[in-house]
Amino acid sequence: MRILIAEDDRETAEFIQRGLEQLGHNPVVAANGVDALHLLSTEQFDVAVVDRMLPGMDGLSVVRRARTAAIELPVLLLTALSRIEDRVSGLEAGADDYLVKPFAFSELAARVNALARRRPLQQELILLEQAGIEIDLLKRRVIRDGTPILLQPREFRLLEELMRESGKVVTRTMLLERVWNYHFDPQTNIVETHISRLRSKLNEGGKPDPIETVRGVGYRFAEHA
Amino acid sequence: MHSWRRSAAYRIAFANFITFAVGLALLGLVVFGVMHVAFFRQLDAMVSDEAQTLVDEYQSGGLGELNEAIAVRESSRSPTRMLYAVFTPDGHRIAGNLQAGRPPLGLHDITFIDPSEGPDRGRGIGIDLSPRERLLVMADREWIERIDRTVISVFAVAFLAACIIGFGGALLFGNYLRQRLNSISGTAKAIIAGDIRERMPVGGRGDEFDQLAATLNRMLDRIEGLLENLRQVSSDVAHDLRTPLSRLRTQLERGKQTSGDQTGLIEGAIAQLDQVLSLFAAILRIAEVEAGETRRYFTAVDLTALTTELAESYAPAVQDHGRTLLWSIEPGLQVLGDRELLAQAAINLIENAQRHTPEGTVIRLTLVAANHWACLRVIDDGPGVATADLPRMVKRFARLETSRNTAGYGLGLNLVSAIARLHSGRLVLKDNAPGLAATIELPALATTAQSNQARKEGAAE
Repeated sequence: MRILIAEDDRETAEFIQRGLEQLGHNPVVAANGVDALHLLSTEQFDVAVVDRMLPGMDGLSVVRRARTAAIELPVLLLTALSRIEDRVSGLEAGADDYLVKPFAFSELAARVNALARRRPLQQELILLEQAGIEIDLLKRRVIRDGTPILLQPREFRLLEELMRESGKVVTRTMLLERVWNYHFDPQTNIVETHISRLRSKLNEGGKPDPIETVRGVGYRFAEHA
Repeated sequence: MHSWRRSAAYRIAFANFITFAVGLALLGLVVFGVMHVAFFRQLDAMVSDEAQTLVDEYQSGGLGELNEAIAVRESSRSPTRMLYAVFTPDGHRIAGNLQAGRPPLGLHDITFIDPSEGPDRGRGIGIDLSPRERLLVMADREWIERIDRTVISVFAVAFLAACIIGFGGALLFGNYLRQRLNSISGTAKAIIAGDIRERMPVGGRGDEFDQLAATLNRMLDRIEGLLENLRQVSSDVAHDLRTPLSRLRTQLERGKQTSGDQTGLIEGAIAQLDQVLSLFAAILRIAEVEAGETRRYFTAVDLTALTTELAESYAPAVQDHGRTLLWSIEPGLQVLGDRELLAQAAINLIENAQRHTPEGTVIRLTLVAANHWACLRVIDDGPGVATADLPRMVKRFARLETSRNTAGYGLGLNLVSAIARLHSGRLVLKDNAPGLAATIELPALATTAQSNQARKEGAAE
């Protein structure tokens, strides 16, 4: 993927660039807002990672102007500010996701992946089927190898999120945001608890576990378990 | 003198004094002028009347009678005595003792020769008795001038006395003002010099200065409290940072000594750092909530749905910790607020209840409406907290000695309290005997809920 990194702090920019390169992406760094907007309007990118505070033109303006110019690529906004107000204004400016510094690179990578896949996923899926597990999003039913499994609403949502992104890491924070709609860290293990209950229901009878734990990052639904 | 000119107290006092003095002088001038003019008119009237009387005498008895009348009048010793003369057209005086020239007709100021004083001025009237005789009746201005002089000197003395009293008063008044202000500024200087415990002296009169001093004292109390809080917080932050940072340092040092795969060590170090960062995040979050800016984003929050969702999400986690979460949530409760902050507050209460209680504890989460308030309550039947310790618990970094060794920074309840206050509500901690009852009271939006409506009951699976 071709990814624009608009970040003025050279160390952070290099850190993101190297990380993304190792994952096989093709990142381009812009050190200020004007360059970033110029690159966005003249070249083709799959995702943009934009720092909120940029010299020349701040990140919010870059996103806002890009949106005004009908540049539709997904944007991940980076920021050192974690205030509710800042998140709201970031999303209002047209950013698709928001990540507070300092962050783990794995978190950034997972979010960039998720953003890049967001567009082709627009068509409404009703049935997801992976690794012998079938979930019906309309009827809220789960069947594994022909046996129906009874899940609590949040367990179902967790499974849905993991299966939608199967093969990719979904971080704990992303799950908190998507399943619980919490944009803060409740500092508790609700995600872990619910995953563990989901697993025990899913794997009843000694079936192989399709949910892989990525330590310190999140979970991954194995594509071909 | 220099400091006087810069003293507002003296400036006010003297400005007051000068205004008063100028006013007094103007008043004196006006009174004097009016009086003077009145006396002159009086003089003119007297002279005209006298002249008319003499004209009558002349018409009834001729020049002889007139002469007689003049002689009688000139010999009287009255202080308002007048002087008389009758002139022929060539200026020759044929009657009276008045030594002056032949006057024109009508009222005029006359210069005459006073036999004892020399040339003097008077007010006289010339009237023709016949074509050959002109009568001059004149009154000496002497007595008016004497009254004028007396009035002026009396007024001057009075004015001087008033000025002296006024000046002295201004001095005293200015000095008084200055003293009252100086006592305030003296205290302020002492505070600047470093003693924040210094307070303004408050008199018993309750006047403006006393009120000002009392208000300033209250402000100082507040500032002192905040400073104390800040000092406490920064030393607590420093203290709480030392533990994870020194642990991190030990780990890194150990890593330097060992060779081979360091992944575990690095992960451990990152975890330590995350702990430090989460402390900062918590402090910043509290600061944000306390600043109140978030209110702009308030919307109607379905507290019933939020609490139910929380209870359902947390029951398994609580159960995994060997405790039980039961809940009873009244339907239809809404508040104006921030959904995430409210969730965080409730989570903190649940976390708190599970962190500081032994296994087997039952935690109850209830949401009820009381009048116009929505009460979100978390009750445990654990060891509880001594009533005396309750007020301390909402303080930042407040950790009771008994729980020093458990996880957390003692910011949880402080944040809950800040969130409750942001929503115009409050956090109430009560001894539940046994256990602790923590209640967030929030102003309810619209209580569509009926208390007799069936309550949603639930328990951990």
